[in-house]
Amino acid sequence: MFPRRCRIMSTDSTMRATINQKLTEMGERDRLKAFLGVKLTECGWKDQIKAHCKEVIKDKGLEHVTVEDLVVEITPKGRALVPDSVKKELLQRIRAFLAQHAT
Amino acid sequence: MKMDDLSLSGPDNTKLEALVHDIYSELVEDACLGLCFEVHRAVKQGCFFLDEMDQESMKEFEIVDKPGVDIFGQVYNQWKNKECECPNCKRLIAASRFAPHLEKCLGMGRNSSRIANRRLATNNNMSKSESDQEDNDDLNDNDWSYGAEKKAKKRKSDKNQTSPRRSKSLKHKNGELSSGASAEPYKYNYSVGINYETLGPEELRSLLTTQCGVISEHTKKMCTRSQRCPQHTDEQRKAVRVFLLGPSALSLPNADAAVESDGYSVLDGQGLMSRLQWEDSPENSPTDSASSKSSTNHLDSRKPKKKKSAPAPFSGGGGDGPQGSGCQGSGCQGGGGGSSCSQGNIGSSNKKKRPKLPTVSIPTLYNDLN
Repeated sequence: MFPRRCRIMSTDSTMRATINQKLTEMGERDRLKAFLGVKLTECGWKDQIKAHCKEVIKDKGLEHVTVEDLVVEITPKGRALVPDSVKKELLQRIRAFLAQHAT
Repeated sequence: MKMDDLSLSGPDNTKLEALVHDIYSELVEDACLGLCFEVHRAVKQGCFFLDEMDQESMKEFEIVDKPGVDIFGQVYNQWKNKECECPNCKRLIAASRFAPHLEKCLGMGRNSSRIANRRLATNNNMSKSESDQEDNDDLNDNDWSYGAEKKAKKRKSDKNQTSPRRSKSLKHKNGELSSGASAEPYKYNYSVGINYETLGPEELRSLLTTQCGVISEHTKKMCTRSQRCPQHTDEQRKAVRVFLLGPSALSLPNADAAVESDGYSVLDGQGLMSRLQWEDSPENSPTDSASSKSSTNHLDSRKPKKKKSAPAPFSGGGGDGPQGSGCQGSGCQGGGGGSSCSQGNIGSSNKKKRPKLPTVSIPTLYNDLN
């Protein structure tokens, strides 16, 4: 089992690396990032997260809040609060890119 | 690496889906992190809580959420029902109609001056029969624009009328009224006539059988319109004939008779037309003022297209009922110019041709017509 898994893993990782590379090189990653930013702002996700940030800051105190604090508190909530429509659209775009360039 | 349970079948697809989801998670985390950095930087720089510092101003500018009011608390149709009293006419006008009402009431503003000018123009057009020497071009502009054009071009002429010189002269003309001025929209209301002194008795007679011939007091010219010209009465025509040809020549040929006698009218018509053509154009320049010439050029430049359509409507509008229909039926032929047309129409159609192309010879002129 192990050698086979290794082989699968290695091909997987190579494939992943290749795809990631392609994503970045062709500018698709940046485009996707921009797209996501726009969509999240539109749907009010950013404002929600900022409001949450305020609460965290008020909890922790204005002077002593660190980046780590914020990240730890906010990332799970951020991930959960992304609306379904935005998630679906993004997944679709990624799939389309992969379909074009993976094989 | 997780192998998620996905709807797609086959190991490759699941792998791909996993990859897709991984990429997605990466992107979302990037967005979150970016936001965190931004917030942290704002906090450390002290600009994160700027809009929450002052409780008083916050309460002052809070969003209002009551019915009938906008988010600022203002009633949005407050001025709809209000009425204002016009300082000029002392009437109560609705607020939204107040500005246009003032414009008309006080007589200022673009629209009101335009309307007033147009009204002046139509009044002058109807009341004016002959033209003064100096005011000729103003009047002729008036006539031409009113007669032959649609409103769009009429407005253009109205614009010309707003210069102080013209408006003054237009006002002066209001006093002169012609007898029997009708409201018919004449296509070509050209009123330059013929000087009777230069014509011999034979020519005079032939002229008088086809044209109105009434001599204008101001210009001493004979009216070149048809026998049924509405600006002059039959009595006037009789008087002119008596004056010019002596009391024996009291035959004022009937309009109908002219139509039927096509045969005799052919030659006369041609000769007449040629003479009229040449007589009129030289007379235009020296005797009439330079302004009338400019008015003909004015017409020239303005409506070269209208020529073709002119004959049919003009014959109708020239005031000759039966003649007009006769001309249309047979169709104005080219060459000598309307050989089958009745004399009245020949004169009238000639009149129409003249201002447009004073320099072109007759045959070509009528070829153009057809």
